[in-house]
Amino acid sequence: MVFTSLNFLIFFPFLIILYWIIPNKNRWILLLISSYFFYINLKPVFALLLAGVTLSTYFFTSLINQNDSDSRKKMYMRINIMLILLPLFFFKYFSTINNEIFNLLEWLHIRWPLPEIKLILPIGISFYTFMAIGYTIDVYNEDVEFEKNIGILALFVSFFPLILSGPIERAKNMIPQFKSNKKIDYNMVSEGFKLMLWGYFMKLVVADRMDIYVDAVFKNISHHNGTSLFYASLLYPFQMYADLGGYSLIAIGTSKILGINVMHNFNRPFSATSMSEFWRRWHISLITWLTDYVYTPLSFNLRKYKIGGIIISLMFTFLISGVWHGATLNFIFWGLIQGMFLSFEALTIKKKELLETRYNLKKKFLYTIGGISFTFILFAFSQVFSKVSNLSDAFVVYYKIFTTSGSLFIGQPSTFIFSILGLLMLLLKDFTDEFTPEKFLLFNNKSKMVRILSFSIIIIIILLIGVFDGGQFIYFQF
Amino acid sequence: MEDNLFISNFRHMVIKKIIINVLIITIIVFILDFSIGKTLRYFYFKETSGLHYRTTYSFDSTKAEVLIFGGSRANRHYVPQVFEDSLNMSFYNTGRDGNGIFYQISLLKSILKRYTPKVIVLDYVGGFEYDAESYDRMSSILPYYGSHEEIRKTIESKSPYEKVKLISQIYPFNSKILTIAIGNMEINKKREIDDKGYVPLFTTWNEKIDSQNIELINDIDSNKINAFRDFLILSKKSNIKVFVVFSPIYLKMKNTPGIEICYNLCSSEKIPFWNFSEDTLFQNNNKLFSDIQHMNNNGAIIFSKIICEKIKNSYQYSSIKK
Repeated sequence: MVFTSLNFLIFFPFLIILYWIIPNKNRWILLLISSYFFYINLKPVFALLLAGVTLSTYFFTSLINQNDSDSRKKMYMRINIMLILLPLFFFKYFSTINNEIFNLLEWLHIRWPLPEIKLILPIGISFYTFMAIGYTIDVYNEDVEFEKNIGILALFVSFFPLILSGPIERAKNMIPQFKSNKKIDYNMVSEGFKLMLWGYFMKLVVADRMDIYVDAVFKNISHHNGTSLFYASLLYPFQMYADLGGYSLIAIGTSKILGINVMHNFNRPFSATSMSEFWRRWHISLITWLTDYVYTPLSFNLRKYKIGGIIISLMFTFLISGVWHGATLNFIFWGLIQGMFLSFEALTIKKKELLETRYNLKKKFLYTIGGISFTFILFAFSQVFSKVSNLSDAFVVYYKIFTTSGSLFIGQPSTFIFSILGLLMLLLKDFTDEFTPEKFLLFNNKSKMVRILSFSIIIIIILLIGVFDGGQFIYFQF
Repeated sequence: MEDNLFISNFRHMVIKKIIINVLIITIIVFILDFSIGKTLRYFYFKETSGLHYRTTYSFDSTKAEVLIFGGSRANRHYVPQVFEDSLNMSFYNTGRDGNGIFYQISLLKSILKRYTPKVIVLDYVGGFEYDAESYDRMSSILPYYGSHEEIRKTIESKSPYEKVKLISQIYPFNSKILTIAIGNMEINKKREIDDKGYVPLFTTWNEKIDSQNIELINDIDSNKINAFRDFLILSKKSNIKVFVVFSPIYLKMKNTPGIEICYNLCSSEKIPFWNFSEDTLFQNNNKLFSDIQHMNNNGAIIFSKIICEKIKNSYQYSSIKK
């Protein structure tokens, strides 16, 4: 069941009513049943995998909890991590490995093509696997207590708002909330609805509309000129933001209505003036996960190499991030480029800060705008690697951008105009929230009339120009 | 005990406040949806040119003796003047961009409620496999859901909740607001030539012919097969002479499972199926195309003449004459 399906919009109100009617002690059971109901309805067989990851995590964390020997604890942690990573590797990298072996067989002239077996990636596997790994490491590090109730652990791993595309939450934040005595809170419910509505706007009005244009260009790279490819490359980061950001807001809003606070995943990323700031604002849950479980331990181990250690840690962390997104060379390249950007900033940060202080640059409008634009351009250009299906296509895109020109592909004029309109509304909200947080409030206006009208008008805009038959959320593939 | 009562009262108040706010928003949305939806409906059916106008004209007004059915290729490949001169019958091209067999069967049912055309050319759109997009594309006929009972069943196959979605007055006009506005402007008539539904292309495709291996990715969609068969049977029952045509394409297709299915369905209903997908007259001449899928006006004129000759030479045509 996907947030944008009508099934969800029918399912969720019933869940809210039931959730707040039943006694507090039974609420986690309702959430667990709902989560599995939600997941089973996507692909029943994959629920077995989800249950397997939960059982393995429960078993090995209980062993970690029971043992006093650090070496044994470490061994159980490693076994569990390897075990739950196996299905992720198998499903996620199956096609890549397959193709490589096929290439080898062809090279050896022993390839005999048989009908292909299609294997679909279990949806959300990258997200719940990371959550289970995080919990395992936390139990080992004694950052969280071993959860004796397997039902609560199962709920943490399968919690329906988060399972498909995150945010990748931590046991420390979620498990106590599942167990706590919750009372219905008007502000929290109202905030939840606001977030959900804006999430739907981002997804249906902005992301899915842009997807029509961006896909039309990127799926036909050979037929488009540099102007159109350049424009589509600039639009793609906005589409990604509206897609995953929209999904995250719906997930966070859904959880809030159920009295559960989930971490934010985006913080107006296009207001960032440097790449390091950008990565503190973009896909926050993944980046903080990687920081906590990969970057920090690694840079600690490499601390004797000083800045060299930091650079190696950054490169490796973003390499992992690239591989998490996909096993193809273009994703690895994408990860390395991000690592290079951040390494360059790490090397030059002191000089940059010195200049900023000497000339009071941070308060200068043009400097801020320049920083925002430059960061956006860097990110947009690196995102080409994540959009195309292979590395050579990415180079074709760059080559065409710099060597060919011509008129801009418009496609359906309404698609073009609606996507620009949606994007302007999104950016207007983000920039006013960032730079004038107390002004131009709509959802949080003091006047109830303005608040209610804002809600209603956004619903009408979604009905008028939202894409109801749009594609899936981009991050379902990861 | 007092505490419990307080908590219970507090909870009651919170729930009441939430319900009241949700109700207020629902009422406002309902009023806005109703008024905006009705306005859009009014202007949609008042359009005097463009895509919507041609669809409405096909559904509600055309009385042409020869009708062309299909997607964008149909729309660009059959020239009215050629058909009218050659067959001496009135003509309308109902082809609509991006629409497939669900659109065509709905349109045929609606037309047959009004009158019976003499000849139908169904331009094969291709693809009998399941793809969600074919169902999504039915959004083009949503504005006719209320007034055309005969197409409701087809529209409802789009999703189990289509009836629920259609409670909204805006929903049938989703994403159509700009096209509605433009369709009501005089300038639109000059923007796109519309000659009895035919929308010619005048550019020339300058690239070399490409080849493509067509493979079935998804399962065959029985709804599409049934709709196609229904189209043939319904036409036959109404005594219409139907010809199914795969018009020329600037692409060498290897492995075309859709054509085989189409051929089998046509032969089981004894309907002629003319396949031009490998016709060298067209494939050797890029100057007749505007892109790989669509012929330009020059190509369309040549092709229309060929089709008219074939129709005239067919035994079905001789029965029309009789």
